Amino acid sequence: MSTLPIEATDSPSVTQSGSHLSRVSSVIAFARREFRDAIASRWFLLYTLAFTVLAVAVSFMSLAGSGSHGFAGFGRTTAGLLNLIMLVVPLMALIAGAGSIAGERERGTLLYLLAQPISRVELLLGKYIGLALALCCSMCVGFGLSAGVLAWRVGGVGISAFVMLVVFTCGLALAMLSVGILLSVISRRSGVATGLGLFAWLILVFLSDLGLMAGTILFKLRVQEVFAIGVMNPLQAFKMAVIVNMNASLDVLGPVGMYASQTFGSALPWVLALVLGVWTIVPLVIALILFSKRGSV
Amino acid sequence: MSVIQTIAALCVLFAAAFGAQAQQSPQSVDEISRLIELADPGSTIVLPAGVYEGNLRIDKSVVLDGQGVVTIDGLGKGTVIELGAGDITLRGLTIRGSGSTVDQEPAGVRAFAGPVIIEHNRFEDVYFGIDLRPAPESIIRNNTIVGKALGPGRRGDGVRLWWSDDCIIVDNVIDGVRDMVFWYSENLTITRNHVRNSRYGLHFMYSHGTTLKNNELTANSVGVYLMYSNEIHLIHNSIVNNRGTSGYGVGLKDCDAITVENNALLANRVGIYIDNSPSSVDSYGLIIDNKIAFNEIGLLATPITHDNVISHNAFVENEEQVTVHGRGQLMLNEFSADGVGNFWSNYSGFDQDGDGIGDFPHAPRSLFRSLLAREPNLQIFLHSPAQQAVDLTARAFPDLSPEPIFVDASPLTRPPELDLFVSSQRGSRVPMIGFAVGLLLVSGVGGWVIAHQPRLPVVSDSDLSQRAFV
Repeated sequence: MSTLPIEATDSPSVTQSGSHLSRVSSVIAFARREFRDAIASRWFLLYTLAFTVLAVAVSFMSLAGSGSHGFAGFGRTTAGLLNLIMLVVPLMALIAGAGSIAGERERGTLLYLLAQPISRVELLLGKYIGLALALCCSMCVGFGLSAGVLAWRVGGVGISAFVMLVVFTCGLALAMLSVGILLSVISRRSGVATGLGLFAWLILVFLSDLGLMAGTILFKLRVQEVFAIGVMNPLQAFKMAVIVNMNASLDVLGPVGMYASQTFGSALPWVLALVLGVWTIVPLVIALILFSKRGSV
Repeated sequence: MSVIQTIAALCVLFAAAFGAQAQQSPQSVDEISRLIELADPGSTIVLPAGVYEGNLRIDKSVVLDGQGVVTIDGLGKGTVIELGAGDITLRGLTIRGSGSTVDQEPAGVRAFAGPVIIEHNRFEDVYFGIDLRPAPESIIRNNTIVGKALGPGRRGDGVRLWWSDDCIIVDNVIDGVRDMVFWYSENLTITRNHVRNSRYGLHFMYSHGTTLKNNELTANSVGVYLMYSNEIHLIHNSIVNNRGTSGYGVGLKDCDAITVENNALLANRVGIYIDNSPSSVDSYGLIIDNKIAFNEIGLLATPITHDNVISHNAFVENEEQVTVHGRGQLMLNEFSADGVGNFWSNYSGFDQDGDGIGDFPHAPRSLFRSLLAREPNLQIFLHSPAQQAVDLTARAFPDLSPEPIFVDASPLTRPPELDLFVSSQRGSRVPMIGFAVGLLLVSGVGGWVIAHQPRLPVVSDSDLSQRAFV
């Protein structure tokens, strides 16, 4: 926590030139408050429950056919989980992020928060960290039970791929949370923010891929073009990262996957992690700048 | 007195060590040649233990028995042992250090006449392992062959038969070679061999009329590749994890009258690949009672493929169950015989009368797949929600739905009971259990630590915080 990049700002709400330590501790305090609020909220519990139940169900179902010789089926579980994660996790993170600032603003509680001797940057960072921890905890419950099912039914086959699945899912959640918080900062009302969050979800999960599919067919895009455009979508980057960790190459994904494997070689997971990193940091930084400059509450 | 004793003891020790060393120091293979020269044809020569260096040629029918303590080392030059006569037996030898020049194809053992028996030997660091060219009616059993540590493209074959009919090849373990390959060799018995980490596990070229049974083919590029070979019976083999870039569990290229029966084809890139088999007009192919599971593609066939009967198999959780190489359909093949089809883990019909046969034909249609046949680059969208959206759209608007590539008129609703030969892949559970518990602990304990100790240094008035933050 002490390494958080907290910068002094010229925000008018900084009424007290607290020490570096007190800034960190106020970020931590906000993160804790956000975490408590999140895990107490009904929506969040519902998402956690849904994700957990679905993850365990997918694990069970994809192992149902593996029969008595205990062979594999692990790849199937990961593939099944992949679809589930790509639908549920962005939705969870975007909606959680979208509700954060806009909700406080609409309820009027943002005024109280900003009346405290902390900067807007600290407030937003605290909120981000709290929500991120809450999301990761929530997913760890689902993954933990799912791993339990795998250990029981399959044994320890492919554990490293599963660990990477958890890590990259947390990365995806952080990226989507950043986008959600950015949407929240630019929305005056929480209804608008949630709507924007759903729209962003629709675009990232379906529309961009469908558009690229149509483009690939209509314009006969070349492999490098399809890869370059496709990988910009954090969900595709996430999916490729999981598959490359599972299969050691992207041959499963056809010519475009082979191109990616051959071009980047063993650096491919890092390239994909970088995409998720950019999607985490850029929206968050924009949100911090906008929020600290915005006069209205 | 004690000093003398010590010196005496040292002398004894020294002599013993020196003697042992003398016994261990390598001799020339000429020693073996001399023994063979002295022996009568048909006699058994038990070689003294030790290492023999050089290239050996045997032109007399003898039994050479190393009893597991004899090593013949070619010192990295040429073929280690050449057999120029029939009725030679090599037993209990370690054969190592052949040359590695591609043009001369040096081998561990090369036989120019049959029949020979090569059994209970260990081959290490050899370019080719055993090369019969030709040596009909030979027996190769209980050998272990480990290829030279070369890149996959530069290795030689573990076992190669060349015009050698009626050979028996059983219980061999072969690791890290190119192929176990059979050229123009008919009526072979190939049983209980284990080929792993190689290119093609079992490779048939123009070799007809053979039964392959109880073999284990693991982690090769291709498990079994039959090319231009007819009347092959592939039964009760374990074909697992063969995942080369163009890898298959079983590949059938222009072969007539092939039976693929009761095999476990698991976690390969492609379970079975059929390229124009059968190729003759009035021939057939039979694929029955197999478990084809967890492959990326269960069954892949070229569009011209015809006259195969594919029934009573279990197609379980292959990422793609059946697909065509390129565009086209597989309608000229039977996916059910005498009212018995296959089990499909993705069958979406039901069985109202409970006879074990689904009430609707299994005729999967995927718009995404048909788009993929047109535009292979789209495969990057595999496993994404967008892919499912495309298929869902096609189901909602039947006009968009493509023709099915095959129809199974009587799909099984329960997996058939199959007696399979499968090597278990079960690993230790402990790390996975540890990881599961760790994740739950992190979320539980971590969550509790973060959420507890309500401490709000920025707000002193608890009343305000109650109202403001709830």
